[in-house]
Amino acid sequence: MVAVHSRLDRLASRTLGGHLLLALGAAVLLLLLSTQIGAYDNYNLTAVAIFAVAAAGLNLLTGLNGQLSLGHGALMAIGAYTASLLLKDHELPVVLVLLLSVLSTGLIGIVFGYAAARLRGPYLAGATLTLAVALPQVATRYKSIFGGESGLTVPPTTPPAWLGPDFPPERWLAWIAVAAAVVTFVLLANLLRSSAGRAFRAVRDNEAAAALAGIDVARTQVLAFVISAACAGLAGALFAYWSGVTAPAGFGVTLSLQLVTAIVIGGLGSLAGAVWGSLVLVFVPSLTSGMASTLNVPSAIANNLPLAIYGGILVIAMLVAPHGIQGTLTRILTIGRARWGHTPAGGQKGVVDWDDPASDP
Amino acid sequence: MLEVVDLTVAYGPVVALHGVSLTVQDASITAVLGANGAGKTTLVRTISGLVRPRAGSVRLDGRELIRLPPEEIARLGIAHVPQGQGVLAELTVDENLRLGGLWRRDRKAQRGALDETYELFPPLAGRRHLTAFSLSGGERQMLSVGRALVARPRLLLLDEPSLGLARRALVQIMGRIKALVTERGLTVLLIEQNAKSALSVADDAIVLHLGNVVAHGPAQKLADEEGLRHAYLGF
Amino acid sequence: MSRFFVLSLNGLTQGAIYAAMALALVMIWRATQVINFAQGAMAMFTTYLALFAIDHGVPYWLAFLVALSSGLILGAIVERVIVRPVESAPPLNVVILTLGLLLFLEALAPMLFGGQIRSFPPAFSIVGLHFGNSQVAFSPFDAFTLGSVLAVMVLLLVLFQKTDLGLRMRAAAFNPDVSRLLGIRVGRMLTLGWSLASLVGALAGVLIAPSLLLYPTFMDQVLVFGFTGAVLGGLDSAVGAVVGGLLMGFALSYVGGYLGSDLETVGALVILIAVLMVRPRGLFSRHRLRQA
Ligand SMILES: Nc1ncnc2c1ncn2[C@@H]1O[C@H](COP(=O)(O)OP(=O)(O)OP(=O)(O)O)[C@@H](O)[C@H]1O
Ligand SMILES: [Mg+2]
Repeated sequence: MVAVHSRLDRLASRTLGGHLLLALGAAVLLLLLSTQIGAYDNYNLTAVAIFAVAAAGLNLLTGLNGQLSLGHGALMAIGAYTASLLLKDHELPVVLVLLLSVLSTGLIGIVFGYAAARLRGPYLAGATLTLAVALPQVATRYKSIFGGESGLTVPPTTPPAWLGPDFPPERWLAWIAVAAAVVTFVLLANLLRSSAGRAFRAVRDNEAAAALAGIDVARTQVLAFVISAACAGLAGALFAYWSGVTAPAGFGVTLSLQLVTAIVIGGLGSLAGAVWGSLVLVFVPSLTSGMASTLNVPSAIANNLPLAIYGGILVIAMLVAPHGIQGTLTRILTIGRARWGHTPAGGQKGVVDWDDPASDP
Repeated sequence: MLEVVDLTVAYGPVVALHGVSLTVQDASITAVLGANGAGKTTLVRTISGLVRPRAGSVRLDGRELIRLPPEEIARLGIAHVPQGQGVLAELTVDENLRLGGLWRRDRKAQRGALDETYELFPPLAGRRHLTAFSLSGGERQMLSVGRALVARPRLLLLDEPSLGLARRALVQIMGRIKALVTERGLTVLLIEQNAKSALSVADDAIVLHLGNVVAHGPAQKLADEEGLRHAYLGF
Repeated sequence: MSRFFVLSLNGLTQGAIYAAMALALVMIWRATQVINFAQGAMAMFTTYLALFAIDHGVPYWLAFLVALSSGLILGAIVERVIVRPVESAPPLNVVILTLGLLLFLEALAPMLFGGQIRSFPPAFSIVGLHFGNSQVAFSPFDAFTLGSVLAVMVLLLVLFQKTDLGLRMRAAAFNPDVSRLLGIRVGRMLTLGWSLASLVGALAGVLIAPSLLLYPTFMDQVLVFGFTGAVLGGLDSAVGAVVGGLLMGFALSYVGGYLGSDLETVGALVILIAVLMVRPRGLFSRHRLRQA
């Protein structure tokens, strides 16, 4: 965990202006990129942005505050259904739909957050996993509202007129998703360097010590849950636009587990890790299915090869790179810098971490 | 005979032992003395295989122990009473004691050893079927020592057995151990905070200071050295 | 026969299977502090192996043994090859590892055994028994299910409580370091723990397969309900796992019967949250007063 710390501390030492600049740069770059790629790649870019938002929120909860949620897919479903219900009979501006989805998921997050704050480790994992299984069933049950198994269709967002008549809708959605992701990341980055961010980490590291230091542990945990839920709600609303239909099947346990996978593979507790993780989520399956389709094998094998490879990658990644992509990159960089005689900012301490076995729970 | 040669042990950047050497003769008690953090626990943990040294060697009757895992070292007849909490709190007193000698497989001898232990520690006999969790600190210490004796070890590593024990219980334990040393040729490495009482039961002693051996020799001789007592032993 | 009685009987048999799954999870949790999310997938795999044997003319009972013994072996392999290397890694990494294994096995099974949904034969008739001229909703196979789960539980209880091996296994799970000092080969004990747990999981697989049909993800729900049962009981209590599993069986049966089957999981969620709000570490957790 020490490595996570120093990474965050360095991130946190950047100024608000620095964050904004970085974010603006990233946004411009991505928007430019979106004009150079085709519809399919824009579609994938959107997916990366959506998963990055959800994963960043989950990483705040799990990586920074130490609460494992196996049910974030269900929170995404709340955002997605909010958006779809809003758009069922009315035409509303995208920004409003997104904001309302964030709001509704955040409010529901308060309820779950209070329950979650009482639970620890595997008990929280169990409760959230059950949530992930149960929630889609509510949608199935109340057909008249949520459309049952077949779900609700979501009208696509049309690009505004000033972009010209031929502006591809995929690119427009990519712009929206990227913009939403950039805003989320700037807000989260600033949150992390605030006192709330420090409280999150203090509670994760040692609840008793945090309480002694005057931090309201339960409140901190609820707050982390609510923020995390709000991110999931935003991602869910974007997801609704992206997939065009909101149905229970889209929000199964798999989605929740994918998000957890993303933050662990990407790097626990770091915003960059959320981005790496969502890249893995979007591109590894399409790579593996590409690979499988070029092989000349029976369909029973070809159809399942991508999943097998994906599962295999998870296992191997955890065996060879237990600190995730971001953690591994940080290590390589630090070792590199140490070789060349530079000391990284913040000193050597804890960067190549000696995880004290005694401190592991 | 236990020989420790040039043992260097480090926890990450913290070096706890700097080339420590000592020899423990069969059928004798050797006291290991030193202030908090001197490296005493590290020494016995390395002997019993819980800690891997950076360099050096540990030999029991000429056999190298360094690469062996703790369970195999225990099976050579080395019993280690760890500092503080060594009992399995979830198991009953009886189960804890049985565990001491399970690797031996001579059932009858085991039964006898168990009875002897209960005789030696009457408080344990009354709590046979309670979990060790419910024992007091001193009772736990008795259980921990008793369990080590059930194994009928060749070499006994005692890490501050006096911790939490009343004087009378301690005297009883040490009396029993002395008897085992003379009757059965038991070899003992005894770590103690109280240098005076340790030197009174030990045949030999070493003094550790910040991971170095600063004195060694017959216990009586060390006890008589004024300077040493002042500098390291505090009596 | 009253509806309540029918639902209760159904809940009892289902609950026995969830209890087995919960017990498997608890055994592994106690041995290595890992929630084995691949437990269901492993059971799915061993059930497929049994069906493969049946397809090749092996008699049912031999196939039953194939499932159980392949469970033993698979558990040992998983512990040795996948879990052992990350023994000291953060718990989340191990979670991801078992999830990876779950996906891998669920993809591997259709590659090896074909992707179509299969039915799995029961050991005995699944038609309700006749008492006089009334039929009850309790079949010989239900009786077999209950009996075999009960038998396995009694055997495990005897093993853990009455034998030296069981004592060693418990010690290794509670405190590996002290156990090593006592000459216990902790690694072997943990492997054995995983093996036995997987055997129990494999049993759940062959017992529930006849009523669920066999496909790569058929055990996912059983895993979730078993996990819920285990959490309900308190993860470090074997008794808790059995009680929690049975409770899940009854609760799901009543919810499904009275409110509609699509509310089953919602019912599970409500019960779980309600119990955890009162007892955040499950029904049978023992709160430590003294430092262990
Ligand atoms: N697991 C560990 N990780 C890091 N450092 C350790 C560890 N265990 C011991 N040390 C350090 O090694 C040194 C020696 O410790 P050790 O426990 O061997 O001392 P000791 O002589 O037994 O002290 P005491 O009398 O207090 O029991 C100390 O500086 C201690 O801080
Ligand atoms: Mg010590």
